[in-house]
Amino acid sequence: MAGREGGIRRAGLLGVLVALAAALAFFGITAVLGGYPPVARYGGAAWVFLLTWIITMPVLAPLLKARS
Amino acid sequence: MPDDKNPPEAVEVVLPIRGMSCASCAATIEGALAGMAGVRRASVNLTAEKAFVTFDPARVTPAQMARVVRDLGYGVGTEDLVLQIGGMSCASCVAAIEGAVGGMPGVESVQVSLAAGSARVTYYPGVTTPAQIKRTIRDLGYEAAERLEGVAALDREREARRREIRRQGRWVLISWPLALVVMLGTFQEVWILPRFVPRVLANPFVLFAITTPIVFGPGWQFFVNSYRGLRHGVTDMNLLYATGIGAAYLIAVLNTFWPQAGFGGPEATFYEAAALLTAFIILGRYLEALTRGRASDAIRKLMSLQPKVARVLRDGAEVEIPADEVEVGEIVVVRPGEQIPVDGIVLEGYSAVDQSMLTGESMPVEKRAGDEVIGGTLNKTGAFRFQATKVGRETALAQIIKLVEEAQASKAPIQKLADLVAGKFIFWVHVLALTVFLFWFFLGYQAFFTPGTRLMLTPYTLAGVGAFGFALLVSVAVLVISCPCAVGMATPSAMMAGTGKAAEHGILFKGADAIENASKLTTIVFDKTGTLTRGEPSVTDVIPVPGWSTDSVLGLAAAAEVNSEHPLGEAILRGARARDLAVEEPESFNAIPGHGVEATVRGLPILLGNRKLMRDRDVDLSGLAGRAEALEQNGKTVVFVAADRRPVGLIAVADTLKEHSAEAIRILHRLGLQVVMITGDNERTSTAIARQVGIDRVLAEVLPQDKAEEIRRLQQEGRRVAMVGDGVNDAPALAQADVGMAIGSGTDVAKETGHVILIKDDLRDVVTAIEVARATMRKVKQNLFWAFVYNTVTIPVAAGALYPWSQQVVSPELAAFLMAISSLTVTLNTTLLKRFAPSLRVAAGRPLRLPGPVPVAGGEG
Repeated sequence: MAGREGGIRRAGLLGVLVALAAALAFFGITAVLGGYPPVARYGGAAWVFLLTWIITMPVLAPLLKARS
Repeated sequence: MPDDKNPPEAVEVVLPIRGMSCASCAATIEGALAGMAGVRRASVNLTAEKAFVTFDPARVTPAQMARVVRDLGYGVGTEDLVLQIGGMSCASCVAAIEGAVGGMPGVESVQVSLAAGSARVTYYPGVTTPAQIKRTIRDLGYEAAERLEGVAALDREREARRREIRRQGRWVLISWPLALVVMLGTFQEVWILPRFVPRVLANPFVLFAITTPIVFGPGWQFFVNSYRGLRHGVTDMNLLYATGIGAAYLIAVLNTFWPQAGFGGPEATFYEAAALLTAFIILGRYLEALTRGRASDAIRKLMSLQPKVARVLRDGAEVEIPADEVEVGEIVVVRPGEQIPVDGIVLEGYSAVDQSMLTGESMPVEKRAGDEVIGGTLNKTGAFRFQATKVGRETALAQIIKLVEEAQASKAPIQKLADLVAGKFIFWVHVLALTVFLFWFFLGYQAFFTPGTRLMLTPYTLAGVGAFGFALLVSVAVLVISCPCAVGMATPSAMMAGTGKAAEHGILFKGADAIENASKLTTIVFDKTGTLTRGEPSVTDVIPVPGWSTDSVLGLAAAAEVNSEHPLGEAILRGARARDLAVEEPESFNAIPGHGVEATVRGLPILLGNRKLMRDRDVDLSGLAGRAEALEQNGKTVVFVAADRRPVGLIAVADTLKEHSAEAIRILHRLGLQVVMITGDNERTSTAIARQVGIDRVLAEVLPQDKAEEIRRLQQEGRRVAMVGDGVNDAPALAQADVGMAIGSGTDVAKETGHVILIKDDLRDVVTAIEVARATMRKVKQNLFWAFVYNTVTIPVAAGALYPWSQQVVSPELAAFLMAISSLTVTLNTTLLKRFAPSLRVAAGRPLRLPGPVPVAGGEG
């Protein structure tokens, strides 16, 4: 059980990293394109971060659980 | 359980092994296990019947080891754990639990039934424990408790449902008044509202103060459950709600406290979106909690039949004890109007018993000494005493409840698609929500947005909304409008209602697959003897020669057969007794195998038998030959009677049709099914019987062991075949058929083979079983159609597919309303199955023109 929980924790952490990368990419694109107010850029990045993390968690969790 | 001597990643498992008989068995298993990749050490103890395996869980699982052991021809002991799960709300909950428990080492399989609120886990006892399984489920945020039996289970299940209804009802009472106030405040300037609604209510800070308790009160459960799920790496419906409510609330808060932030400003504080979104979801949950339990009404009814008290004779006195304390062999006393506590055999007394709750029989059944009584049925008029034969879990009622429960918890093949979709649904909805957000943020807003944009079905315009606010609004609407609940509930809820409805009529489907298969049948094969017919020959015609009467011929024949053990002789004896004829003892008796009997009655030498016997004894049959042939053409066996070497008449004996055979077959034809009869009898007899009931095709002279092969042949012709027969003799054919129906099992349901058990010995139940199956599958298809169409239509609309032409987008609260309506539609549509009535019940008011009973001819002469 401890191994499984460790796997899930790792999945959570890795998911955060992937989501952070996606949010940064979003933020970078808005900077490159220009014309977006700061709130839209930060708020959008936050939304992208949240959804990406939710999407990656169930994908990564079983993979990392199996390796725990 | 890491071992000290092994690296930390090594795990030891103890597998119970079945079927070992000697040391070489142990060595074989040991070698096979040790040879598996990832297994470090394997040792098999023959005496303990256990395999101790140290392995690397990243490379091999106990389930794979079990498969290897089974491939060698041995068994691996598993245990089943049936749990009552509380707090499941949709198909993604099922996927979450199945994923988390299925991933545990030592769990071989897990099957979660959303409709039944239960989980059946098969696990290896040496690897995991029920406590660990329950803990895993509780960690996901659900309640898990081992399933109780009977009334206790019923009470707990009812209490859990009441608790859920009370909880959601409380949230409804909190969220709705507050949400309506928020809505009035939001639209304070619209229509006639300024006259009634104080202006202060429109203040964003006031709206914030009213909305916050809604989100963090009734809505808080979604955030908590989402977090619990994510901790285990699973996503469920709660997450859709939480992200939707959270986003709507956050935008409103940002526009209140930072109006220049670019989210639409002070004109776009969508507090009513967050408030109504929560209120609609809570209302949906409340209504579902109210309606969902109704699918299991049948099982509840059955459980409520279980008697609580019994009156038994102990030391000559009547003692009242709990019904579950009655022991086999005890004498039980039943008075008028009382429930019969356990199964048994009537010893003395007479009464009529209402068995409708178990068998669907509308008329009370007479019970006298020697008759069986069933626990849970209702004694109507008389009083009687009976001896208990089955108690506790062995009673018919307990067996029926167990069968129905198992059927309700099983999954039909059609559910595989729904489970697959529902399981991946949440993931793909989030992917779509992200895609939609990115599209509208970077491309769609610039390409299509106009200041006249409105929220669908509201007077709201979104003129001040920027790219982020607009994209977020559409993204949230996608999350909220999607409804995997409808997809996940479509099949199990209907199956549950269908199996329950069937049980009400004394029809027990052993699984959801049996219902699905029964709905697709094209051919029904009836075993003849004992299924279509009564299974015992009886006298159908008595034809005397001139000078003799029917009674005198039958009486003489019966006297000659008194000592016979031949079925034909017994039939003649029964026929005579049925006509109240006095049957004398013969002075002499001699059986002539294959021919008949000779006896002396009242000094008269009597011959009784076939043509060959008469020919051998020079009896002239010319006067009876024509009548005999006509009877034989109709499949009847003719027995000639001669007295003093002169023919006195003939008796025709046949296995007669059961009361409702012809009616059942006529209705089966009306349902578009081909009806086939299979029998070991000769062609002529079989054809005659088939002609009487209107059967299309006869498979005659088929040996018992070849019946299954005949079923296989029919299946190879592309037919979907049901075999209706005796659950004991026809077991191979019942198993081979797509649907095996064991008929007339009475109370011994546990012993029966086949996929469907018909408790009563009534062929019309075959019709009812097929009608219930078809009605259930119609509901399943309607539900699935609705669920798929709803999601296919609404999700693109919420994603803004129509926006370029309509300039309208779906508001989060409208999305929540539609989502709640969608899952409720499926639940309510399923409850309509309660109104299902078999065509036979519907037709009960109309007289049926059936072939009359075969007359016993009596030519006086």
